[in-house]
Amino acid sequence: MAVALLLGVGLLGVSFGPIHLHFDQIVKTLVGAPGGLKGQDRTLLLDLRLPRVILAALVGGALATSGAVYQTVFRNPLADPYLLGVAAGAGLGATLAFTTTGGNVYGLLPIFSFVGGILAVLTSFFISGKFFAEPNTLLLSGIAVGSFATAIQTYLQQRHSDALRPVYSWILGELTAANWRVVGWSSIYILSSIAILISISKQLDGLMLSDEEAYSLGINPHRLRIIAVVAATLATATAVSASGLIGFVGIVVPHLVRGLTRRVTNRSLATIAFAGAAFLVLADLGARTLLSPAELPIGVITAFVGAPFFLFVLRNRRMVR
Amino acid sequence: MIEIQDLTVRAGAREILRDISVSIPRGKWTCLVGPNGAGKTTLLKALLGMNAYSGTIKDNGVEVFKDSKRNVAFVPQSPQIPSGMSVAEYVMLGRSKRDGWGKESTKSRALVSEILRQTQLFGMQSQLVIQLSGGEMQRALIARALAQEPELILLDEPTSALDLHHQIAVLNNIEMLKDRGVTIISTMHDITLAAMYAENIVVMRDGRVSLSGPVSEVIHSPELKDAFDNRISVYTLDSGRPVIVAAKDSSSEREIPQKEV
Repeated sequence: MAVALLLGVGLLGVSFGPIHLHFDQIVKTLVGAPGGLKGQDRTLLLDLRLPRVILAALVGGALATSGAVYQTVFRNPLADPYLLGVAAGAGLGATLAFTTTGGNVYGLLPIFSFVGGILAVLTSFFISGKFFAEPNTLLLSGIAVGSFATAIQTYLQQRHSDALRPVYSWILGELTAANWRVVGWSSIYILSSIAILISISKQLDGLMLSDEEAYSLGINPHRLRIIAVVAATLATATAVSASGLIGFVGIVVPHLVRGLTRRVTNRSLATIAFAGAAFLVLADLGARTLLSPAELPIGVITAFVGAPFFLFVLRNRRMVR
Repeated sequence: MIEIQDLTVRAGAREILRDISVSIPRGKWTCLVGPNGAGKTTLLKALLGMNAYSGTIKDNGVEVFKDSKRNVAFVPQSPQIPSGMSVAEYVMLGRSKRDGWGKESTKSRALVSEILRQTQLFGMQSQLVIQLSGGEMQRALIARALAQEPELILLDEPTSALDLHHQIAVLNNIEMLKDRGVTIISTMHDITLAAMYAENIVVMRDGRVSLSGPVSEVIHSPELKDAFDNRISVYTLDSGRPVIVAAKDSSSEREIPQKEV
């Protein structure tokens, strides 16, 4: 069902925009049948809208899956994929890209933010000492590293006020830079990370227990935690470097799927991945069309949905149980 | 036999267990007793083989941390309660090592319903574990351990925070395991209950074992009193069953005729 949902909203996503494309022509173009789109419309579909929709799907899938895995690993229903300093590290990397390179930032931005995000998480691991012996220690060092990176980022922004606006718009998330090259490299990291997470999803049940219980049931909890967090972080860092910081997807989608399926979060990771993809394609459609031809940052849309959702969760505590 | 030789377990620079050497018989119920901080839980966890230790712990002649096939159930004192998981799913986790994670064989399903019945959880199988009361949660933990069909079960204070009625229910559930030849090792703060159910007692103090042996030998020993700074008194009921209570003074053992209720 989630797959059908993704295909449906994907079709909506490539169809709507300042210029409307018809569904039948889109399908014909994509399958290579006669009667498809020609000229500018064809370029609009294949080189602008399609990569953008696919990138939104990849990023949404990455954030939702990582969020669900983090919630299991850290035994915290409100854990989100940006916990371990990925967001702040990537933000610092992006700010550095804007402040040091000045001109064409988009070539370097993904690399800077990816490296920044990964470095921040590695620092969190390093500070927390014993690798994954105690997930809460890792969580706390993630928060410390995040604050530190944000402090440097704020300082840099103060010194380079011209970078303020582009950094700010990046922080709110944007898919405007989507092209086939970005789709290409991000899909490699994101799809392989999601595949790893789905392949270990059954064992993740064990991480919801204490380490001794998990061990007695045949799991090496330390090793499993490392695999889970590394894969989830890689997916998140890739998503962030491709599209900025898009909030709430990692929390809203796993809880929604859980509320609907009534299953333990990590047992429906594949559904969560597809639902996350569909959610972000839909949010991006909103970002592009609500104030057309102007564009809203996609983070505004996801937060707009996400904040009321938190109130809903608070009122309906069963969902976080 | 489980043979422990010169076992030392450290947490940082601190030695929690120091040069412990003791043998624990298989197929029997052994209770680790001693005051808080004596190292009971640490010894129990060491027997699981997950954490680092120096010395040797050999179960059936094999060093415990090297034996990945060993089927040991662990019942913690305060379990992590998974969110969103039903009682049936929780008990089914006990089959993971046999069936593979996420797989449920027909045999396992039948076994789990049988166990849910034995542990009086049958009507609650689709309830969320997080909604269970303390007594029900403890039964769910025991049920999961039963589902594991273990050769050895380690229980950390299985009766703490339970009222007397539930204590007996849980201990009877554990006793069912013993009847199937499973080795049981538990910590228990209530020594009277320990003496009632266990066959063997290991007395611990300050990270060492001060005495171990059959209940009848250990329960009247000065080492047991010493472990508790002589602040316990041991009475013997008419039936010959010992009762251990806290004592204000260091009074010695007394025989007071009493009828068991």
